[in-house]
Amino acid sequence: MSLAVLIPLFPLIGFLINGLGFRRVPKSLVGVIGSAAALASFACALSLFLNFSGQPEVVHIFDWITIGDFNISMSFQIDQLSLLMLLIITGVGSLIHIYSIGYMHHDEGFGKFFAFLNLFLFFMLLLVLGSNYVVMFIGWEGVGLCSYLLIGFWNKNTNYGNAARKAFIMNRIGDLGFLLGIFLIITHFGTVEYADVFSKVAEGGYESGDKTLMYITLLLFVGAMGKSAQIPLYTWLPDAMAGPTPVSALIHAATMVTAGIYMIIRSNVLYSLSPETLEVIGWVGTATALLAASIGLLQNDIKKVLAYSTVSQLGYMFMGLGVMAYSSSFFHVMTHAFFKALLFLGAGSVIHAMSDEQDIRSMGGLRKKLPITFITFLIATIAISGIPPFAGFFSKDEILAHVYEHNKLMWVLALAGSMMTSFYMFRLLFLTFFGEFRGTHEQEHHLHESPIAMTAPLMILAVLSAVGGFFNLPHIFGGHASLATFMEPLFAQSHIEAHAPNESTEKMLMIVSVIAALVSAAVAYVMYVSKKAVPEADGTETGLQKVVYNKYYIDELYDTVFVKPITALSNIFYSFVEFLVIDLIVEGIGKLVKGISGEARLVQNGTTGYYIFAMVISIAVMLIWGLRIFILG
Amino acid sequence: MNYQPSDYLPIIVQIGAALAFIVLTMVATHWLGPKRHSKAKDDVFECGIESVGNARTPISVKYFLVAILFVLFDVEIIFMYPWAVNFKTLGWDGFLEMIVFMSLLLAGFIYVLKKGVLDWEK
Amino acid sequence: MNAIIALSLFGITNLFLGFLNNRKILLPATLLFVLIAFGLNLADWNHEYYWFHNMLKTNNLSINFTSIILVATALVVAISRGFGNDEEHTHPAEYYGILLFSVVGAIMMVTFQSLFMLFVGIEILSVAMYVLTGSDKRNLRSNEAALKYFLMGSFATGIMLFGIALVYGATGSFDINGIGNMVNQAKLQDIMLNPYGPILYGGIILIFVGLLFKISAAPFHFWTPDVYDGAPSIFTAFMSTVVKTAGVAATYRLLSISFPAVYGLWGNPLVYITCLTLFIGNITAVYQQSFKRMLAYSSISHAGYLLITVLAKTPTTNSSILFYSLAYSIATISAFAVLMVVSEAQSKSGKPDESFTALNGLATNNPFLAFVLTVSMLSLAGIPLTAGFFGKFFIFADAFSNVSSLFKTIAVVAILMSTVGIYYYFKPIIAAYLKKGDLEKIELSPIYKLTLIITTALTILLGIAPDLVKNIF
Repeated sequence: MSLAVLIPLFPLIGFLINGLGFRRVPKSLVGVIGSAAALASFACALSLFLNFSGQPEVVHIFDWITIGDFNISMSFQIDQLSLLMLLIITGVGSLIHIYSIGYMHHDEGFGKFFAFLNLFLFFMLLLVLGSNYVVMFIGWEGVGLCSYLLIGFWNKNTNYGNAARKAFIMNRIGDLGFLLGIFLIITHFGTVEYADVFSKVAEGGYESGDKTLMYITLLLFVGAMGKSAQIPLYTWLPDAMAGPTPVSALIHAATMVTAGIYMIIRSNVLYSLSPETLEVIGWVGTATALLAASIGLLQNDIKKVLAYSTVSQLGYMFMGLGVMAYSSSFFHVMTHAFFKALLFLGAGSVIHAMSDEQDIRSMGGLRKKLPITFITFLIATIAISGIPPFAGFFSKDEILAHVYEHNKLMWVLALAGSMMTSFYMFRLLFLTFFGEFRGTHEQEHHLHESPIAMTAPLMILAVLSAVGGFFNLPHIFGGHASLATFMEPLFAQSHIEAHAPNESTEKMLMIVSVIAALVSAAVAYVMYVSKKAVPEADGTETGLQKVVYNKYYIDELYDTVFVKPITALSNIFYSFVEFLVIDLIVEGIGKLVKGISGEARLVQNGTTGYYIFAMVISIAVMLIWGLRIFILG
Repeated sequence: MNYQPSDYLPIIVQIGAALAFIVLTMVATHWLGPKRHSKAKDDVFECGIESVGNARTPISVKYFLVAILFVLFDVEIIFMYPWAVNFKTLGWDGFLEMIVFMSLLLAGFIYVLKKGVLDWEK
Repeated sequence: MNAIIALSLFGITNLFLGFLNNRKILLPATLLFVLIAFGLNLADWNHEYYWFHNMLKTNNLSINFTSIILVATALVVAISRGFGNDEEHTHPAEYYGILLFSVVGAIMMVTFQSLFMLFVGIEILSVAMYVLTGSDKRNLRSNEAALKYFLMGSFATGIMLFGIALVYGATGSFDINGIGNMVNQAKLQDIMLNPYGPILYGGIILIFVGLLFKISAAPFHFWTPDVYDGAPSIFTAFMSTVVKTAGVAATYRLLSISFPAVYGLWGNPLVYITCLTLFIGNITAVYQQSFKRMLAYSSISHAGYLLITVLAKTPTTNSSILFYSLAYSIATISAFAVLMVVSEAQSKSGKPDESFTALNGLATNNPFLAFVLTVSMLSLAGIPLTAGFFGKFFIFADAFSNVSSLFKTIAVVAILMSTVGIYYYFKPIIAAYLKKGDLEKIELSPIYKLTLIITTALTILLGIAPDLVKNIF
């Protein structure tokens, strides 16, 4: 048994202990067990990573289903991509588990929370470890389930429950696409193992733009849209903030929502041969990045801002994928995991201090009361805004550089998005930590820095957000692009034409985007620190502001276009079709069977002689039938 | 040797003859024999004391039990005869097998005894 | 075949253990005996041995069948609860002893090499079952069932013996391989060309009448509902698992070794029997009001499903039969285990209530039992994520992979009938969860609970990862 088996096993054990022993395991032990499970997985992942030979390795555990020649095995694939994902998931996951010990301490569902969190880790690890699409799909569904459970964690609140349902349903729409994609892969290639599918594609002489591959990739991308919250399936993610903040950090920022990107990078062989799909992905990503960023500009809920920021950053990643900058996208996944987890945890720390207040209009001036939270939040803000030398700068600029090479218009839009990013992030920072405190007296009295269990993860993540960019330092800064080099074997089969921008262009692009970010930050400073502007109360916005504040009425649009007609249609079906057609047929068949049954049962009349007589008749019939030629001559 | 179904014809003839003989004699005696009925003659016991009550009275299940046990052990004895005839050819193997057989039988006998089946008074 | 010897001796040991004053020792002792036999059985794995002058033959297939039989026996023993506390009218030592003897018969049925042994095995199994069916001596229905079973059973064995004689007449051999060779050489396919053809045909049909009677295939199923209903539940559980598995194994062994060459002779009659079995088992079950009687009809229908793959004789038939038997056995034992405790808790004037209404409101105070019941019903109905689903799936796959279009028709009939099955399998679930009842909490002994956990967990496990055991088969 390889170490790879242990990695998902630890969280599963943690889940079983905390889940089955809910309310029985002492509270002090619950957090320790949950965190230890995550840390143990991290240790295993790290040891795998350090001993990695460079050759992908498939760990076969057991054959799951065998039907004829078609075999689905439960097996894990250890390669560059899964190792990096493992490190991110278990690393950030461990930190968030530790953080949760402090954050959730007063909650009565403490054990349940850790059980779900561990279960999530298990499924997420299954998702990235699986060596075929079916195992990935199991993990995919599993994380969706855990996401549902954790969004609706405080299930006494109806709104939270609705948010959980929304997330689940939206994800199901995406999953349908994913599932159809898998079916298409099965019918077309006869296997679901990554290695087999990709080698069949590589050796099969598929031309770029092959129709089958296009359908497969588009369907898979629908799955990615759902899970990674892209237009049009993004509206669940902001609502998902109903869950506890560590959940938002772990599931809805750092890990689960990047599953779509993981999947596309994993299938890069297929995608690289489908330029149409890539174009779709690129534009969907761009649109999402812009739209979400613009909504983020005017949100007043600290977690909602971060949620839209997440959607927008995911858009950037898809943009990168769309221009085949796979390793750059992954680089952004990694740095984003660091700084966005940090931002959420920082927000959690603020919310904790503010006694569950989430509206930034009621905050302000918190930097003195929460020094550690402030400094770490500041680092994360700088990182996400793309100001050097923090992590976000390197990863985002790499994507932008590739986008520039691909399509200038897309680059302009992306730059606009990144300006907005910088603006809303600094707006958030200034409104929260600068100026005067605007909350109630009681809240002010309660203000306190969070316990060490919460601040320690913040500090670690802050360090990672600060230096994370150096993992893939580009050549122009004298780096070796180590991450890209490490990941290179993954793309060996997909023949990506290298079209990295030349050095002077790259420098020029960087300078432009840094200036843009700094200008936005400065504007935010002038507006919210110098002028001390505070967003107005709800319902007083006008014009465009109102439209943006209400998220472009997308939710309402979906409601009118999809939900209401479907409800109306189902009402019609219920009152006519159900009554006239279904009932008649279904109940008719039921009645018929029951009628026959009632008659057939009378044959069993309890008389032995009669039974034996029936047997003799049957034997005679069989003999006569078989020997009819013999008897009749 | 390869038998044809027609080779079994003598057996059918034999069976037929046997059956025919029985049927024939029974029918013949009924026809030929004289019939004289009288009360004393139709009685269950023609001589001795007069019978009382119904013949189908319930009998203690112990009778049946003992009868079955008798049949059981009696039949087992049948296995002894061929063994005794072939005693020398079967040799030690046969002897051991018979010991196993007998000890199983003995175990059954002990079981019956311990169950108290033969304890008539109980 | 040390398992046979060991089990016979253990059976005798059990009889004598009964003289000890402590009745509690019997259950663990019997369980231990069965497990020892299980170990002895596995010792021959991957070898082909002839035993007792070529009378029996073990190979991996027969060892697998024996294993399933022993597992089912162990589970039944585990839920027997020492046959109650009635000191005067129950004889646990004898019941356990007879149970072990009957298992000997069952094992002989799956390992026979000579038709003699098939006959002896069936008789050992049957006589034991006649006795156990009537073991509830004060219950009229139990007595009636035993007598019915005995009368019809001896009739069927008589017919089978006649069939064996005819087959011997046609082929001159009792050895199943010998018969197979003779059948191959003699070109008996065409009844008109060979004078032995009619004799062979008659023999095959009559032997199968005997075997089909044992696995309760229609139209030889008439005893099943009455006997299953009348016998004490624990022995019904034993009958519907062990006896059925042994019967199917014997049928399959005989068909696949001796008579594959004359498929034309017996193929069609058995196909019609299969369809009839599926139809009668499923349709009649719909109307039943008694849970136990429903399970009896359900066992008839499962015989039908098993016959499909026996007849389809694809390369995967081995593993399909084994998987189905295992899935069916564990689910059935779960169902009977729940039925037993619930019907006793609901007993009216001393008689256990075995109707569906006895299950009303089971989930309120006994969520564990309700869950076990649900899983077993879902498995029997063949709902995904339970072992039963894959059991059916493999069987239908076998049917579809057979070239003959006849099998596709059977598969369609079987699928239709399994949808009918959903109707009656959901009745107990509905009763347990949706109906209101005033059933108190039922206390279960640890071993009883453990057994239920094992069967339920196994049902789910095999429903998620069927290849875990299918690779062994």
